Amino acid sequence: MRKEIPIALSFLAGIIMLIDSFTPGNFAPRVELSKWLIIMSAFMVGIASVNLVRIHGANVISRRKGWFNSFSLLVMLVAFTYVGVMKYSYPEVETWKVLFQNFYDYIMSPPAAVMYAIIAFYVSSASYRAFKARSVEATVLLVAAVVVMLGKAPVGELIWSKFPVISSWLLNVANTTGQRGIMIGAAIGGFVTSLRVLLGLERGHLGGV
Amino acid sequence: MSFWDKMQKIDRRIIYALLVIVVAFPLIRPLGLPLSYSDTTLKFFDEIEKLQPGDRVLISLDYAPSGAADVHPQTVAVSKHLIQKGVKIAFVSFWEAGPMFAEQIMQPYLDSGELVYGEDVVNLGYIPGANSAIRSFGFDCVGSAPKDLNGKDTASMPIMQGIKDCRDFDVVIDFVMGSPGTAAWVQQVQGPLGINLLVGSVVVEVPASMPFVQAGQVKGLLQGLRGAAEYELLSGSAGIAAAGMDAQSLGHLLIIGSILVGNVAYFMSKKQPKNNKQ
Repeated sequence: MRKEIPIALSFLAGIIMLIDSFTPGNFAPRVELSKWLIIMSAFMVGIASVNLVRIHGANVISRRKGWFNSFSLLVMLVAFTYVGVMKYSYPEVETWKVLFQNFYDYIMSPPAAVMYAIIAFYVSSASYRAFKARSVEATVLLVAAVVVMLGKAPVGELIWSKFPVISSWLLNVANTTGQRGIMIGAAIGGFVTSLRVLLGLERGHLGGV
Repeated sequence: MSFWDKMQKIDRRIIYALLVIVVAFPLIRPLGLPLSYSDTTLKFFDEIEKLQPGDRVLISLDYAPSGAADVHPQTVAVSKHLIQKGVKIAFVSFWEAGPMFAEQIMQPYLDSGELVYGEDVVNLGYIPGANSAIRSFGFDCVGSAPKDLNGKDTASMPIMQGIKDCRDFDVVIDFVMGSPGTAAWVQQVQGPLGINLLVGSVVVEVPASMPFVQAGQVKGLLQGLRGAAEYELLSGSAGIAAAGMDAQSLGHLLIIGSILVGNVAYFMSKKQPKNNKQ
């Protein structure tokens, strides 16, 4: 039964979604199932939090290397959750709202933005060290990259007015052709995998049952 | 070690320092480089221009602080334009960080009394569940978001009156930096319901969005910070994106210069006889 019940549930859920795609309007079972999915997804956030506490709590207790980072994460997890719950529970109290927004604006956002911005340094260094015309394919990629970069930056238009035109052609024709091929291939692959899950042939999601 | 060998092994900190200089300089002293408008931005702007006061627009904020430098200026510029036109805005998000961006945008207008919460604007908050949540919301907006970010009933809000599914919004705009995003909106909502969909995207997501634009499923596309800058200039309110374009231009030039110098050093080094390399 450990095998049959999950397979039957997967089949039922999949069939409801499939029927919905071929039915005009709202197919009632799909509407209900979608609400369940939203609730389950919300629970997954809770499970992820418990997992974080387990892993990083163990790091702190056993004083593993970098334990202070784990400690910071746990402090922020608790603080953010507490302020968020208070904000939601007492919407008329302005302090919680301001505190939550400030947590977000001044604690969460800057490090996240910095992490992304640091990529610029790696890109500039990598472009110097690794982006070499070692083969015909690499040379085509290199030329295309330079033209697209010049086409997308205002300074490229000043250098040669045709850069944006060539850049657009590369994006709209060469790139889109490849993207379409990838999308169609991925869609066919997705369809086949879904069919295998529905028929119980693919059981990886059941945890090796 | 020859000169070209040394050039190949240049200290990366020199490149980092150069990047800081070329990006910081135009931010301190703007160069004012001219900016042309791309077709996708013009189509986006035209769709917004067609809206009338009182029309309703849904904005889906599907990005995180890491991509905000590229996308958030788009959201700010478009929201400002919509508010100036008297269009009502409902914000929703399928990324957990999204609702706070909506708060950042709405708050100054709510504080000044320019907008009334629940009538002119609403923050429907974060809906977990990725593609399935987008589908669910697309087909049943109020049922999928019965409470707003602060726990208030959305069904009783004037802005949500008459909204059953996403077709009841005059335009749906997705500001996106990854998945779930453009593909999910097109596949789950635009295809089945035929909504009027516009997209603002981080620049690295643009290639993946172009097939949808060419197919007419996405009617307009803002491409990264440049898209935001173009929109700011079109709507007559130059802001942070337009100011950042000079920095981006010089950054691109540095990277192109790095590629060229790196390749020259590579080929010159290869050309030299081995005994000269000692």
